Amino acid sequence: MKTSCDSSPLFDSASLISRRRMVNSLGGGFGALGLAGLLGDTAQADAGRAAHFQPRAKRIIHLFMNGGPFQGDLFDPKPLTAKYAGQRPDAVNLRTERPTAGLLPSPYKFTNSGESGVPVSELLPRFAQVIDDVCVLRSVYTDNPNHGPALLLMNNGTIIPTRPSMGSWLSYGLGTENQDLPGYVVLCPGRPVRFSILWTSAFLPGEHQGTYINHSQIAPDKLIPYLHSDQSASDLQVRQLELMRRLDRAHQEQRGGDPQLEARIRAMETAFRMQSSATEAFDISAEPESVREAYGNTHFSNGCLLARRLAERDVRFIQVYYGNGQPWDTHNDHSKQVVPLCEDVDRAMSALLVDLKQRGLLDDTLVVWGGEFGRTPTSENGDGRDHNHYGFSMWMAGGGVKGGMTYGETDDFGFRAVQDRVHIHDLHATILHLMGLDHERLTYRYAGRDFRLTDVEGRVIKEILA
Amino acid sequence: MIAVRSHPQTTTQGRRPRRALSLFVGLITSLGITAGDSPVVADDAAQAAGESAELFERHVRPLLIDHCAECHSAEDLQEGELALDASAGLKEGGSRGPLFVAGKPDESLLLRVLRYEDEDLQMPPSGKLDDAPIARVEEWIRSGAVVPEYGAGTIRKEDEIDFAAAREFWSFQPLDPQPAPIVEGDDWSREPIDRFVFQRLAEEQLTPSPEASRPTLIRRATFDLIGLPPTPDEIERFVSDESPDAYERLIDRLLASPHYGERWARHWLDVARYTDQTPEWLSSTDRAWLYRDWVARALNEDLPYDRFVTLQLAADMTGDAQPEDLAALGFLGLSPTYWKELKLAPDVIMTVVAEEWDERVDAVSRSFLGLTVSCARCHDHKFDPVSMEDYYALAGVFASTQLTDQPLLPSAEADVVRTARKQVADLEAQLAKIEDKESEAAKTITAQIESIQRETPHYDAPWVHAVEEASLYVLPDGTDATRLETRPNEPRDLPLFRRGNPSNPGEVVPRRFLEVLAASDAHAFKEGSGRLELAESILSDAQPLAARVIVNRVWRHHFGRGIVSTPSNFGTQGSRPTHPELLDDLAARFVAAGWSLKWLHREIMLSAAYRQSSAHRSDAGDIDPDNHLLWRMNRRRLEIEPWRDAMLATAGNLDERLGGPSSSLADAANVRRTLYGTIGRQEMDDMLRLYDFPQPDAHSPGREPTTTPLQQLFVLNSDFLYRQSETLLSRLETDFPDASDEEKINACYRLLFGRPAGQEETQLALKFLAAGGADPREQWRAYVHSLYGLNEFLFVD
Repeated sequence: MKTSCDSSPLFDSASLISRRRMVNSLGGGFGALGLAGLLGDTAQADAGRAAHFQPRAKRIIHLFMNGGPFQGDLFDPKPLTAKYAGQRPDAVNLRTERPTAGLLPSPYKFTNSGESGVPVSELLPRFAQVIDDVCVLRSVYTDNPNHGPALLLMNNGTIIPTRPSMGSWLSYGLGTENQDLPGYVVLCPGRPVRFSILWTSAFLPGEHQGTYINHSQIAPDKLIPYLHSDQSASDLQVRQLELMRRLDRAHQEQRGGDPQLEARIRAMETAFRMQSSATEAFDISAEPESVREAYGNTHFSNGCLLARRLAERDVRFIQVYYGNGQPWDTHNDHSKQVVPLCEDVDRAMSALLVDLKQRGLLDDTLVVWGGEFGRTPTSENGDGRDHNHYGFSMWMAGGGVKGGMTYGETDDFGFRAVQDRVHIHDLHATILHLMGLDHERLTYRYAGRDFRLTDVEGRVIKEILA
Repeated sequence: MIAVRSHPQTTTQGRRPRRALSLFVGLITSLGITAGDSPVVADDAAQAAGESAELFERHVRPLLIDHCAECHSAEDLQEGELALDASAGLKEGGSRGPLFVAGKPDESLLLRVLRYEDEDLQMPPSGKLDDAPIARVEEWIRSGAVVPEYGAGTIRKEDEIDFAAAREFWSFQPLDPQPAPIVEGDDWSREPIDRFVFQRLAEEQLTPSPEASRPTLIRRATFDLIGLPPTPDEIERFVSDESPDAYERLIDRLLASPHYGERWARHWLDVARYTDQTPEWLSSTDRAWLYRDWVARALNEDLPYDRFVTLQLAADMTGDAQPEDLAALGFLGLSPTYWKELKLAPDVIMTVVAEEWDERVDAVSRSFLGLTVSCARCHDHKFDPVSMEDYYALAGVFASTQLTDQPLLPSAEADVVRTARKQVADLEAQLAKIEDKESEAAKTITAQIESIQRETPHYDAPWVHAVEEASLYVLPDGTDATRLETRPNEPRDLPLFRRGNPSNPGEVVPRRFLEVLAASDAHAFKEGSGRLELAESILSDAQPLAARVIVNRVWRHHFGRGIVSTPSNFGTQGSRPTHPELLDDLAARFVAAGWSLKWLHREIMLSAAYRQSSAHRSDAGDIDPDNHLLWRMNRRRLEIEPWRDAMLATAGNLDERLGGPSSSLADAANVRRTLYGTIGRQEMDDMLRLYDFPQPDAHSPGREPTTTPLQQLFVLNSDFLYRQSETLLSRLETDFPDASDEEKINACYRLLFGRPAGQEETQLALKFLAAGGADPREQWRAYVHSLYGLNEFLFVD
């Protein structure tokens, strides 16, 4: 049906683009046979499938602390909170989801770590060892103190649940480099709040949606739908594949080499290969004991290790949710909960950075860490902490980011970002920039207008670029 | 035409006094006019004004030019609609209102912004200025804030929409049916459609393709109309039917099938963002399927499309709708809703509520009008003649309409049931508090409940997701929290939200229809929320557009592409029709035929254009590779529903019962049609997700087919395909107990592909069956499985 790249003013641009997409997809792998011009409302803008400039990072690992960790325990020491413990100075009279009481100082000591001397909490002793590779953003803020909207903003750049996620934008913008694996993988040992909306491709073509994998069971055939059956890769299946190929080829030849038929024949071959390539990629039992030991043996450890294996295989965007639901949401018993949480992430995320660096992957792999928001320096329910969207910490490492630095400041109590404030749109603009994409040019025309991940906002934080 | 569009420079309350003052002072300074009744006072005033003007010239104006004008210039009002390089702009203020109140620094936005007092508006963005220059600005405002003339005299505001010119755009024009052209040498055309198609082909020196073979035609028509493959018997009867109206009778038979409604309901449910699951914070009725079944029934009964639209928007208001038609309100009643955390401030909750209204405006305008009205939420539509006033005029309709559960009963009886259910709910709450369920008190309450349930007529009548006439208000609750108030039968007009921000309301816009489409004598909606008037406006004032949009949707499902390739965007950013005269002719005759969709299917399917072969021809392919001009039929890939249903049907597994509650598709034992699989907004079935099923949280203009390896893993490894191939094998064993392998291979081809197996295909099959190991039955199962995986099974020529 679409056999020529010849164009005529008679025809709308949508089908031209879809031809181009199709040509891309015929390269194999997860590319889709695009028929945007034939069906649908999506005349693509002329973007996608190529970096706008030289990228610093080729792939991203996003460690998502769902629920929202408290910045004051980890990266943003505020001695003044001790002085005003139990009090509510004017600066903390900010509206949060629930009423909070007076200031509750973090009990953890900070050490100026590494050669850079960036302060890191005693809760993260291993991470303090790698801090020279890390840029801590202390002044991130977001728009909404509820989990759902904040998760959406962090993932999709908007609280509206019908817009593409960042990973989909990246997949759309850059395509995939591994023909045998999905380009955008979301790992969670369970389900984060809002679930699949967080990795939706929305109006972008479906091939760009995240492939969600619940890795609470780490056997590869439990991870990917329909990856295996009793017949997988058996002689019988090989013969089935051969039979289908011959019959499909004959069918296609009778029909003048229709490329949509060709695409499906190729997709079958990739699927067949995936049975082993994905099995191999997702099989962490192949890792040496020393590596398993370094990462630890929790779900998050496994997530980080899987992320490294996928990064090695050039998966574009790998997201690891810390856990089911919102494990960092410590409205009660904050101090009791935070210790084991930190022990877990400290081990795994430090091991991940060391491992990536040893393998030479850290240079072009951007690692991003953070929750959908932070928590209040004031107390809730005695020793709990409420959501705080006014100011919180995240960190980035590798992939063109300066190490051993902090950027931005919160106020005296670590409640509100006050200096060099970083909105989520700025964060997204920076991440896209590191991946070689101009956030103002990565657009998609849908329902009559051009959409962007950063809407009409966003500033690249040039100060943290290496 | 209604003259509600405001002049963009209309002042709002609060701005007027300041403007009067600064104008007044400005007059004094520039013209030296005496304003007071004493020369001394006048002199003092003039002197003060002079000092203020000097402060401005020496300190304020340089600051504005140096730090602000680069972004806020009269040339380009992009930033905050504010111009600071011209006195007119400084006085006028921007999207956030006036910049200063003369004499009152603390009430002046300009100072708050410069002092970085507001978290979300701090200027200049590059960093806070030193205290000294800011103090000068303060001094100037205190001194009366005189602004001497400077810069451009007038500020370019956003252009007014020229509605008269906008109505010239093709899709807003009246239908212009022209006689179908007669082209010399046309011995191909059967229907008016064909004459239009033939003319365009002839203009490009193209010729149409010959008619497809009978087996191809029946397969194409059967999948198109009922979403199932023809049986070998049906094919045989059709192929051997020599009567001249064999094809017409085929189409009529398919249109009369109850499966027609099942197939076409799914097309509509994509548009209507149908879901089986509603959020837990709604009083869920768990009866979404009543809307789905209503759609299927309406289509089977060939309910006229105008009535189909009216009932979905306003079945409760028409006065003549039957109780069961209340299910039609599911189009609105199943709209997405978003969580409203009432512990948060009203302005936060208001943004969530505004999102919901926006979703309704979007769904209704794209579904019925092919217009992206929600682009006009923050500013006038950038491309189409839709103003912000238009947007808020429609949003007001949905702000006056609330989701509700509704028994399928006439309203008097419904009220009785509603009251009874409320009583039962209260009693159950009382009962829950009693610990000892054997106590007398508990027994009495239980008896009361049973008695109400027994004695209330229609107590168990089905409840549907519907809407009611009630408006929603977001109000403060104490200092920090929010409460929502619904006011029954009290429709509300919304203020325009400047820049889409509910905290920045402008003037109130009466509920009414879109200005560009409204009849010249149109008026604001008067009946309740205005839903019925909205439906009437869509179908009368906007009849040409509404008819074109639905005709194009139907066309698209028959040909694989619409005459307009952007089915939900008929605005300037949408595609232009490949055959505008054909579209108008068909739309006009569709309306004349009583908006009958079955008439439309027949008209399309009887055409020679539809009956063409899909075979490739290089002569035509070189000129029109994408087949925009229809020199052949498009080869189409089945959607997940007919593909899965076809496997069930050919395996002999399909449960053909119509309607009823949904059930999970993840259950491999589910053998109902895919239409009846459970659809959720939170979680989508793996198989549906892999096969391009649209996210049901927003209107879907049309599916975007993808081809991915994950789909093929489903083919290779899913239980579903194993089961179907196993069942088909059993069917073969039962139906052809003594048949040879060749005969059984042939039977497979007839069932699956509607044709006998070719010689080479038979040889390949025999070779496959012979090559296996010990278990010949497993070889057979694997063979059948492979056939289900073939392109020939998934694609329709």
